[in-house]
Amino acid sequence: MKLLLNLVRKDFKRNRVITTALAVFLILSAVFMAGGLRVTGIMLSSLNGLNEVAVPPEYVQMHKGEYDEQPLADFVARQDYLEDALVVRMLDVNNAQIICNGESLEKCLMDNGFVTQNENFDYLLDQNNQIAIVQDGEIGVPVYYAEGLNIKAGDTIVLQNGDYQKEFKVATIIRDSTMNSSLSYSKRFLISANDQNEVALHMGEWEYCFEFLLAEEVAPTVLENAYLAAGLPSNGVAVTAGIFNMINVFSYGLVALVIIVISLLLITMSVLCLSYIIRATLAEENHSIGEMKAIGIPGKEIIKLYQIKYIILVLIAGVIGYLAAIPFGNFFSAMVIRYCGNGSSQWMQWIFPLVGVVLLSIFVVCRCYWIIRKHLKRTVLELIRGEENTKKEGHYRLPSKGLKVGNLLMALGELKCKWKEYFVIFLIFVFSSFLILLPMNMNNTINNPVFLTYMGIGKSDVRIDIQYSNNLTQQNEEVMTYLEKDPEIEQYAVYQNGYVQSQNVDGEWEYVRVQNGENAVFPLEYLDGKAPQAENDMALSYLNAVDLGKKVGDTITVIYQEKERVLNVCGIYQDITYGGKTAKAAIDFDSKDIEGYMIYLDVREGIDIDHKTAEMRTALPNSKITPCNEFVFQTLSSIITNMNQVQGIAVMISLMLTILITVMFLQLMMAKEHSAIAVKKAIGFSTRDVRIQLGIRILVIQFVAIIAGTLLANTLGEVIFAGMLATVGVAKIKLLVEPVWAYLLCPTVQLGVVVMTVIIGTNTVRSYHIRDQIME
Amino acid sequence: MIKIERISKSFKDTKVLNDVSFGIEKGDFTAVMGPSGSGKSTLLYSVSGMDKISAGQVIFEGVNISELLEKELSRFRLTKMGFVFQNPQMLKNLTIYDNIILPGLVAKKELPEKIRKRASELMGRMELGGIENRDINEVSGGQLQRASICRAMINNPDILFLDEPTGALNSEATDQVLAILEELNNEGMTIMIVTHDPRVAAKAKRVLYIRDGQIAASKELRKGGDSALELDNWLKEVHS
Repeated sequence: MKLLLNLVRKDFKRNRVITTALAVFLILSAVFMAGGLRVTGIMLSSLNGLNEVAVPPEYVQMHKGEYDEQPLADFVARQDYLEDALVVRMLDVNNAQIICNGESLEKCLMDNGFVTQNENFDYLLDQNNQIAIVQDGEIGVPVYYAEGLNIKAGDTIVLQNGDYQKEFKVATIIRDSTMNSSLSYSKRFLISANDQNEVALHMGEWEYCFEFLLAEEVAPTVLENAYLAAGLPSNGVAVTAGIFNMINVFSYGLVALVIIVISLLLITMSVLCLSYIIRATLAEENHSIGEMKAIGIPGKEIIKLYQIKYIILVLIAGVIGYLAAIPFGNFFSAMVIRYCGNGSSQWMQWIFPLVGVVLLSIFVVCRCYWIIRKHLKRTVLELIRGEENTKKEGHYRLPSKGLKVGNLLMALGELKCKWKEYFVIFLIFVFSSFLILLPMNMNNTINNPVFLTYMGIGKSDVRIDIQYSNNLTQQNEEVMTYLEKDPEIEQYAVYQNGYVQSQNVDGEWEYVRVQNGENAVFPLEYLDGKAPQAENDMALSYLNAVDLGKKVGDTITVIYQEKERVLNVCGIYQDITYGGKTAKAAIDFDSKDIEGYMIYLDVREGIDIDHKTAEMRTALPNSKITPCNEFVFQTLSSIITNMNQVQGIAVMISLMLTILITVMFLQLMMAKEHSAIAVKKAIGFSTRDVRIQLGIRILVIQFVAIIAGTLLANTLGEVIFAGMLATVGVAKIKLLVEPVWAYLLCPTVQLGVVVMTVIIGTNTVRSYHIRDQIME
Repeated sequence: MIKIERISKSFKDTKVLNDVSFGIEKGDFTAVMGPSGSGKSTLLYSVSGMDKISAGQVIFEGVNISELLEKELSRFRLTKMGFVFQNPQMLKNLTIYDNIILPGLVAKKELPEKIRKRASELMGRMELGGIENRDINEVSGGQLQRASICRAMINNPDILFLDEPTGALNSEATDQVLAILEELNNEGMTIMIVTHDPRVAAKAKRVLYIRDGQIAASKELRKGGDSALELDNWLKEVHS
């Protein structure tokens, strides 16, 4: 063993650059693998911890307006599978009437309700994951606002309607197991019962959440069916625990997924490098290996001799990776910890990365073993002759008109003959480019207003929500009148939202949120089929189509106002809002059934959207007016923040790996071609010529790799991104590319980095003595 | 043509060449002999500017090549010198023919057509016709070494340096190479060759015997006489 370790030490000394570069590759793979799994562990632990204390409902039925309490109480008493039930009274207040630290929430997309602490379950928790308690005059603010508006305990929140003003002191920041995420469009503020009753006298509209806990193994649909059959109040959306979980996992898990995807890329790159280096090293050692075989040293011993270096490297990388993943994982888990707390299953954040690192190490060691064993299968004669080195590479021809651009022609010619040797570096450059572009394109896509199309609506400039009014129709008409008169509005379309019932694949009836409006004004790209045009057409969101088991051309039976209607499924579109389950159809909703109006509009060219929005907010104070890019940003704000960080790190890692692989490859290439370099120098090529030729070869490879990486990011990247978003209702996504960054700046920086590395890395050619290189 | 003035060359603490001086005139054929490790190859590489010297100077047609910049030295090697290594060294991604014409195309002293014509003439003279388009691993060692000489000659150099050019060849190939060298010298080409083979050295006009990094003896060989025998006797004398 001592002898083996001595050999390893000498090998490390001899191949310092290559060994260091390989170690960095392996360490980064381990850091990202362990880091991604740590983020996953922390996320699961946090969500578990939050849910254990908060006890979220398993079925929630929303309802606006008055209802009869007795039938509901009777219903609860009759259902023996119900563990518990409660009615949450939520006072919905217009955003413009809520003032946080002197600024109103009118620009905010969320619907805000003021609630008291629940009894028995669905608790709102404080920052210690304890059930939050507020006194009169105090308020608990959702963590979403604490993060976005930087609200802290001690700040002031004011509710104001005309002359009435109620001031609250922020007592705590609230974690809400059902409405924490920015993807959930409702947020709950916690106040005391006295304050709630007082405020209700002056502003707001009551909304009720009928919440239920089910006995184990009872599906929410059982309750839903019974609830609907009983004719209980249900003019709002019904949400199951599945949707809450889906929203949470998407909000906090997307970053973990991206990190894991990056780690898989890094592992692929590391293994490619490793395989290449092992093969190159073994090729140089062919003679020694042949001699060892010739004198009868068993194959196992020879494998051990060459494998031990890589085992040591992997072990070091694993340990460093695991340790480095702690701060790395914590950094990317900061958001989920703020939103959900530290959690109850903290072992996950230690065990998950450990398992990942161990699996990675086993994989790498097995890969080494496999390559070395394959190499040793050669006969002694083959090894001693060094047939590896005399492999025919073919030749290129010098142009008959002379060498006007000699270095370029020679570099390209040699590349043509040696392309197989460059395949590994090509792949690594491809992945490296992919690594920069994928997070960048993903980030760019979710930051772009076009992302609206994945929220079930075509691209438009501004969205107006009309809610919380006793007379929605009248308010809608006021808005229409304003828009008609405003010459700066180019076009607009009004959509009504309501609910119908439809049967899912199991034959169970469930509520479907339906939007009725002019679909041609802001056309949406459909996954399949087209927008509803006829009266009996209905388009379904992707998840709804899956859930209801429908495809384009099928019929669908819906119930509205106790009447059955058979509609044709005309199209399937993508929508991540409302749990991904929406529909579009010309349902003539009764005014009392309209949950709200949404108006989308475009302003004329040259009109500033933000300025127009501000103007409309003043003119239409009862409507919620949001620029669409802001709508996307607010919905995905937490994800965007994390994605920005991931993108930055991905760029840094990618450039670092580009430098490393270039240095490593140059070393191997120069070692392999030392005699050719000497010959070139001997026949009159200058050191500069040789360096330029080496550089051109790498740059050409990198240039092609950048093109390939860009194409891959735009194709495979879309598949990966769509896979990540599939759970929330996106089946197919078009990544949006920022051409200046993706096609100009990034490639320029990548090429620039390689040029610099080649300049530095080939500096040793200067010190090559022709004689030494020829004689070696 | 070349003045070698008190050159020394050290590797770390070992002095391989020690204060060596001699001259080479145009048309000379100088053979350098000596035991292994005596410094004969180092002398060749130092004179040809392939290796840096530790002290002294090499004046090539009035130019001190030890003071040339790397780029100037490359140009010098390209246009003024030809070099042939013990093991034929060629670029393996070029055919035999392209290897030969490469220095000519890089030098850009003459039109490509002229270089190609000369390459064909040289190859014909060295009996290398028919192997132009072959890869370097598709020809024999002797053919490769003759091709190396063609390459060294392509730019009409002032001097040809050869480092044990027959060391790796069989006797038939050795004879072919020797005949070519003799012929070239007869045509006026200046040659400096390192060899341990008296048969090769016998073709030279002058033999320098190196021992411990210094010229221990030198011998002018008479043409027309039995130079091999004369050399043998002299070597015995030097050895004793």
